[in-house]
Amino acid sequence: MNKQTQAIHNIHEADELAQRDSFLISLHPLSKLLVTIVYIMTVMSFHKYDWNGLMTMSLYLIIIMITGELSLLGALRRLKIVLMAVFFLGIANPFFDREIAYSIGAYQIRFGMISMLTLFFKAAFAVFASYILIKTTSIEDICYALQKLHVPSILITEIMLIHRYLIMMLRETQRMFQAYQLRAPGQKGIHYSAWGSFVGQLLLRSMDRAQRIHDGMLLRGFQGTFYPNIRTYRVGFSILYAALWCIAIITLRLVPLFTIIGRIVIH
Amino acid sequence: MSKIEIKDLSFRYLSRTKEQNPTIFRQLNFRASENESIGIIGANGVGKSTFLRLLVGILTEYEGLLQINDLPVCRENLTAIRSRLGYVFQDSDSQLFMNTVYEDVAFGPKNQGLSDAEIQARVTKALEKTGISHLAHQPIYKLSGGQKKLASIATVLSMGTDTLLMDEPSAALDPENRELLIQILNELPGLKLIASHDLDFVYDTCQRTILLSNGIICYDGPTKDILTDQKRLEENGLRLPLSFRFRNLNS
Ligand SMILES: Nc1ncnc2c1ncn2[C@@H]1O[C@H](COP(=O)(O)OP(=O)(O)OP(=O)(O)O)[C@@H](O)[C@H]1O
Ligand SMILES: [Mg+2]
Repeated sequence: MNKQTQAIHNIHEADELAQRDSFLISLHPLSKLLVTIVYIMTVMSFHKYDWNGLMTMSLYLIIIMITGELSLLGALRRLKIVLMAVFFLGIANPFFDREIAYSIGAYQIRFGMISMLTLFFKAAFAVFASYILIKTTSIEDICYALQKLHVPSILITEIMLIHRYLIMMLRETQRMFQAYQLRAPGQKGIHYSAWGSFVGQLLLRSMDRAQRIHDGMLLRGFQGTFYPNIRTYRVGFSILYAALWCIAIITLRLVPLFTIIGRIVIH
Repeated sequence: MSKIEIKDLSFRYLSRTKEQNPTIFRQLNFRASENESIGIIGANGVGKSTFLRLLVGILTEYEGLLQINDLPVCRENLTAIRSRLGYVFQDSDSQLFMNTVYEDVAFGPKNQGLSDAEIQARVTKALEKTGISHLAHQPIYKLSGGQKKLASIATVLSMGTDTLLMDEPSAALDPENRELLIQILNELPGLKLIASHDLDFVYDTCQRTILLSNGIICYDGPTKDILTDQKRLEENGLRLPLSFRFRNLNS
């Protein structure tokens, strides 16, 4: 699969997932949004040395990844650049915070290292939680949730239009790229002498197509408001889901589960 | 009362450079009334698509008179005019922009402010008519060319308009679906304008045909008369429809 096809595949994945019958997908988008926000806020609230506490938060991610049939490898591949950036956030901590927390044999663990790791995992957990939300919720659903939260409709329409424009532009790129490759066999990528016209053409063509699609929308009565799809959600389940997860997350925040388990194991 | 009235229509595309674009129409006259089916034929680049685009108000920089339902086609009237007009694009990729066939077919009715139940009924009916109910939840980008065409036609049928403009509707359809489309069109009430190179298709769907050439309508009359006029067709880059050719061979 070349890069353009991959990109198109990615952008459609959530929309296609949304067609699938899965428990997570049948939930009301608001309940998923709520749980995600509560989760991220809880994760952020841990103290910078509270490594054990923070690790209990991974339970949520693990359970959701399994029930949502999401692949961990796929997620890592998709998020690798973000995770790398996040890693560099805390890289200086061990140099500033040199106090020794514990020593294991000859190794000394400094507080700076712990805070570096907690910072990294806090950010990584937040990224994963958002990723899961996006993966299990189509753009229509997200927009519907935003609408319910009284986000101005102009903003929602904007989001939906940008989403459409992105797909269209990727598709146009793919079409041009394929046409190019078919007539330049054996060439890897696009020869630099053709870059100028390629990019120029791409812009003109995607603008032209956007114009035509916009015309098409107007012809079918589009008046500037995109109506997100209203699906039937399992409302009772959704409330239960949100309530249970919020309770579970907050309990995990208050009860240091891993420390307790650790103690029991040691005794 | 005529549905469409055109008097002395002149048009050329606006140019972004100094050089002017060539004139597409000069002083063209045309009239159409309710419940007519009219074929629009002519050579490549003669302006069939442009003609339809003018009627739906995608292009508005024309000179002369252009009225639909007694309303001049201009910015202020577009909403009123378009609410009663359905337009099928020559290329389906411009027509379809939602994720799935169902969503796309529901787009028009949604904008008309119909109830959910009504929207669903309209969509189901349009999909049934075009024979693509099984594709309802298929993502658009996974459709074949012909399936896209049928979906485009369904998006317009679901709007329940009384005037239908179609640009090359039979292109990309296999013989069976082509026949299906002929049947759909013949059952559908209202005014229909069909631009096509598929002359057999025009013959099967339209009683009246106009031939565009050099910026004007050079023939306007019964479909059968123009489609059997070999000399005239050939002057305009067209050929006798196959069905007539075989008829000639037989007799
Ligand atoms: N956006 C545009 N700007 C300038 N000229 C255009 C534009 N679109 C079309 N034209 C020109 O207008 C003329 C009529 O084009 P149109 O698409 O209406 O032809 P057509 O009769 O539909 O042809 P075909 O049978 O190939 O579909 C063509 O000569 C074309 O070059
Ligand atoms: Mg055309």
